[in-house]
Amino acid sequence: MISLLLRRLTVWLALGGLAATTVLVNRMHGDLSAEAPPPPVPPATNPYGTGLGAAGLVEARRENTAVGAPQPGLVAAVQVAVWDRVEAGQPLFTLDGRDLQAALPVQTANAAVAAAQLERLREQLARLEAVDDVRAITLEELRNRRSDVRVAEAQLQAALSAEAQTRALLERLVVRAPIAGTVLQLNLRVGEYVSPSAATPPLILGDIATLQIRAEVDEQLAGLVRPEAPATAFIKGNAQQPIPLTFVRIEPFVVPKRSLTGNSSERVDTRVLQVIYSFPAGERRVYVGQQMDVFIAGEAKP
Amino acid sequence: MFRLALKMLVGDRGKYALLVSGLTFSTMLMAQAMCLFCGIMSWTVSSVRNIRASVWVSDPMVEQVNDNKPLRSSDLSRVRSVPGVAWAAPLYQGAQQARLAGGDIKGITLVGLDSATLAGAPGRILAGRLEDLRLPNTVIIDEFAVERFSEATGRAFGIGDVFEINDREARVVGICRAERSFTGGPYIFTQYERALDYAPAQRKMLSFILVGAAPGYSADEVAAAITAATGLRGWSESALIWSTLDWYIANTGIPINIGLLVVVGFVVGIVFSAQTFYAFVLDNLRNLAALKAMGLTARLLVPMLLLQAITVGSIGYGFGMLLTSSFGFFTLGYGRIAYLMPWQVPVVAGAAVLSICVFSALLGITKVVRTEPAIVFR
Repeated sequence: MISLLLRRLTVWLALGGLAATTVLVNRMHGDLSAEAPPPPVPPATNPYGTGLGAAGLVEARRENTAVGAPQPGLVAAVQVAVWDRVEAGQPLFTLDGRDLQAALPVQTANAAVAAAQLERLREQLARLEAVDDVRAITLEELRNRRSDVRVAEAQLQAALSAEAQTRALLERLVVRAPIAGTVLQLNLRVGEYVSPSAATPPLILGDIATLQIRAEVDEQLAGLVRPEAPATAFIKGNAQQPIPLTFVRIEPFVVPKRSLTGNSSERVDTRVLQVIYSFPAGERRVYVGQQMDVFIAGEAKP
Repeated sequence: MFRLALKMLVGDRGKYALLVSGLTFSTMLMAQAMCLFCGIMSWTVSSVRNIRASVWVSDPMVEQVNDNKPLRSSDLSRVRSVPGVAWAAPLYQGAQQARLAGGDIKGITLVGLDSATLAGAPGRILAGRLEDLRLPNTVIIDEFAVERFSEATGRAFGIGDVFEINDREARVVGICRAERSFTGGPYIFTQYERALDYAPAQRKMLSFILVGAAPGYSADEVAAAITAATGLRGWSESALIWSTLDWYIANTGIPINIGLLVVVGFVVGIVFSAQTFYAFVLDNLRNLAALKAMGLTARLLVPMLLLQAITVGSIGYGFGMLLTSSFGFFTLGYGRIAYLMPWQVPVVAGAAVLSICVFSALLGITKVVRTEPAIVFR
């Protein structure tokens, strides 16, 4: 009886062991064998069977215009804000010109003095010239008077020029838009000091009705870029909206790749060919300076 | 007749228990050692199992996943240009140190995921949200990190807590489940660009490129195409796992050390059970001789003994695997022990136990065959 029980028990326990093993193996195996899941955010995939991949940066049509300051100085006024559409010639910002403004009345006054002087000399000359009796005045004196008038004329001209120069210098302190476009970035505020040699431009202008992409192709793939090949761009993180591109040009000069780690001791020798494509901005929320994944249709042999 | 054999086997309960326990012990020793071996080896490839992608791309000189020979950042575009590559994403992986409030320093494995796609993100988020990784200075830590950091700070570490990686703030926004790593500490996931900020600047920082195969291409095809086209090295997930395992087997003492444990189990099993079985046969020699005297030939006696041996073996094996897998279930919940039971473990252990039983039975058989039936009358 006991022996029977023992036999039964041991057999069941042994079977239980096998079952437990099977379950465990399955559970541990389950972790291992699953297919790699897709990334949480669908990535942009190459729309052409074979093609080149490139990293692109959005910029305004005909590139972004970094407007500079003509001379160092304090900012007296900023006439525009970001997103403002400006016409060519429209004032953007004004530098402080109090020194010139202070000099202007002095120069105006100098001009007035010169004018008065001239007037006086002219009158004297006219009076002398009106005398008919040649014995009353010497020829010498008459000549002197005439040259005095010429000197005074020149002095007036000089004073007027000095005044005009100050006005022109004052006008130069008003920085105007060189092109029609949109204010993309404003790095200055009233009261700040700007310098022509500053690393960051005070103001960036660009025509964003049509945007362009600067696609950087690794130099090893440079030979495979064909101008007529179709190209598509995806905004980083948005694989649902392909943006068809129009070829503009290939930059003839291959440049070192930007933004590796930003370290000043960077010496990684990577150079890239820049290919420019354009696309209409339209309703898409694409901003200048954004990174894009660019795919260019190409041959199979990279 | 076989019924008789089984009756004979369980008749002596003490002997039966001894036989079964010997084989149980031996099975457990072997299976356990193999599971530990597989577990430790699985820890060496934990990066491949935590960061999932069907194809990995590395420097051509990389042999295993914990190797760090970074690529140039423009290699990403080159890989994207290879036919069969649906997408490619950068990955940073490196051993760094986390500094906790209180000054404690813990080693971590820092993983930087592509910020656009988060390709390679941990699959099992236990708390928090993966998308929160897009917030500034945020990281997702694994359960092991929670454990280690809680120990170090003396309170429950969790979402919202901060620590430092190379003097930069890291704020925890999520907790994930990740396999333990063999080399580094816990896994800390963050965005690629931020990982580059955290890690000390080097000339090249791109550890791996993760690649998805386009429809119609297998991972192996894509990996081979990448290797051929770019001069880098493409790996399918399994190729990288096997290369890593090979590297650890060739370059570390793990297989020899644990292999010895398996051998010990085998020897203990043989010695113990062969002895016991032989003693069992000796004890029953009179009965067996009686059967022989009754005219039973060796042709019938041999299967009888084999049946006895295999029965004992199967039951011992079952017991042993019961104990081993119970331990395995415990480790599943506990997590600190490197333990993995692939299907090969029970199969190999079973084969070893079977061979022990057959060997033991053969010992007994030679004795029985040589026995004179007359022994009954002595």
